[in-house]
Amino acid sequence: MKEKLYQVWRALVWTFDPSDRTEAGKAITRNFWLHWFPPRMTKASLSWSYSLWLGTISASLFLILAVTGIILMFLYVPSVERAYQSIKDLEYAVSFGWILRNMHRWSAHMMVAAVFLHMVRVFYTGAYKNGMSHMARREINWLVGIILLLLTLLLSFSGYLLPWDQLAIWAVTVGTQIAKSVPIIGDEIYFVLAGGTNLDQNALIRFYTLHVIFLPVLTLILISYHMWRVRKDEGLAITEQFNIARKKGEAVQPEMVFSSPWAVRRIFLVFMGTLTWILFLSVFLDSPLEEPASLEWTPNPAKAPWYFLWLQELIAITTIRIGGITINGGFVGGVLIPGIITTLLAVWAFIDKSPAEATGVWFHKSRLVQNIVFTILALIIVGMIFFAMYFRGPYWEVYWPWAWPELPEII
Amino acid sequence: MKEKRREFLKNLGRIAGYGVLGGLFAGFGRSLWPNILYEPPKRVRLLDPKNLAEGMNYFPEQRLFVFKKGDEVWAISAVCQHLGCTVNFVPFGGKVKKKILGKEVEEEWEFHCPCHGSKYSQDGDIYEGPAPRGLPFHPLEIDPATGYLVVDLSKEVKKDWRLKLS
Repeated sequence: MKEKLYQVWRALVWTFDPSDRTEAGKAITRNFWLHWFPPRMTKASLSWSYSLWLGTISASLFLILAVTGIILMFLYVPSVERAYQSIKDLEYAVSFGWILRNMHRWSAHMMVAAVFLHMVRVFYTGAYKNGMSHMARREINWLVGIILLLLTLLLSFSGYLLPWDQLAIWAVTVGTQIAKSVPIIGDEIYFVLAGGTNLDQNALIRFYTLHVIFLPVLTLILISYHMWRVRKDEGLAITEQFNIARKKGEAVQPEMVFSSPWAVRRIFLVFMGTLTWILFLSVFLDSPLEEPASLEWTPNPAKAPWYFLWLQELIAITTIRIGGITINGGFVGGVLIPGIITTLLAVWAFIDKSPAEATGVWFHKSRLVQNIVFTILALIIVGMIFFAMYFRGPYWEVYWPWAWPELPEII
Repeated sequence: MKEKRREFLKNLGRIAGYGVLGGLFAGFGRSLWPNILYEPPKRVRLLDPKNLAEGMNYFPEQRLFVFKKGDEVWAISAVCQHLGCTVNFVPFGGKVKKKILGKEVEEEWEFHCPCHGSKYSQDGDIYEGPAPRGLPFHPLEIDPATGYLVVDLSKEVKKDWRLKLS
């Protein structure tokens, strides 16, 4: 049995029997499915504890999202009259519709978390640094990664408004109004995003198209570029540690392994692990669906999904009043502050001047200060999410989590 | 001379090529700015003013509060000026003395927003929370032909504006 499986494996991934290392390498580069791997890689770069495999987890989630998403496209109607009903049908009428929707939703939530943690890992390990390499331009990949994080958030935003329930309509209302609060060009941005002066069919079809074609294709292109760059940058940053040791005169010989089966096996394991986790969540935790979208009344409180709660907290507290001038918190907390944070993150890889030794190691002591600042920033965001989640009640007022009053009557 | 001509033609081709591409995509982009909107009108017939209840009347489709006190009628928008949520009407069940914006006032109701906690006084003035301005008042009129109450949501009036019903 084991022998048989091995034969099948070889038939699938090896085009011929390698008789030496060169041939074994060629077996990988000449195989269509494996040609984007290098023939061999350092065993260190496959380490579980170095990368935590968060990038592979993110990519696995993207794959699950693509597959479930395409099936959902057959079942969902992007019309304000029928969108909500088609989600209800997914829950109650379509065979296994519930698991499709749950998997798609849980993968989306997990992808936001995984991509964010991937960024955190890259920061703490100084993995956007080039070490001793003259070829590597890892800061470009950091920049691409930031864009991918933004795309992940945009995909989530455009996705959760498709059910056209109360969560959806108020998210898209607040989201588009944030765009509208931008000085001078705000009205035009709102007009083209919503396709008019109010939120109706035009807005839904626009966000639908963004969600199912424009954003995923852009994300796929950038993911591919992200992977391609890893190879052009001579592998993960951890490999720089060998160059640094060699420069110091140490006779290190990194252990090299063939990509197949070493990398392939681990990628498969990570993918299966991710899929299992998503399936587990999807079987036991159902996706919520609020009442049908209605601009006539707003749920009290109307809370965004967890990854936007810190922004909701920000836009609620950042309206600036100086003398007679008032700047809407929608612009300050929804555009200006996130814009500054994103810009700082994006350029940081270009201005971080820590020594080459800090490349590809966790918490290098030369990067102590920036690691602390980064951690504080991240904790502020996470703290705001928790605060908004557990301490904000009706009318966005502060309550103890256990002391929420009865919801006031809504007219 | 020949080289110059070749250069010139090359540049001409380049400009034409980029021009066509640029024009094409500008056109594609422009198509996303609608020229016709199939939206509900901003000037809307509400109801026969005889049917107005004393006090607050909510018109959900227009997101509009119409108030009637004796023979005076006025309309306040329910659209929060922060980020567009619908504010709630919060009645106090009688007159309540409150200190708002440093002034002692008597209020019967307020408007509170569920999304980010903006609070508006009885007259729509913002006194707490992130909204940059107060709730707008919209002008009302009686349609001479039908005698119905009509609101114009595209126009704004001052907050002491009142329509006298005769």
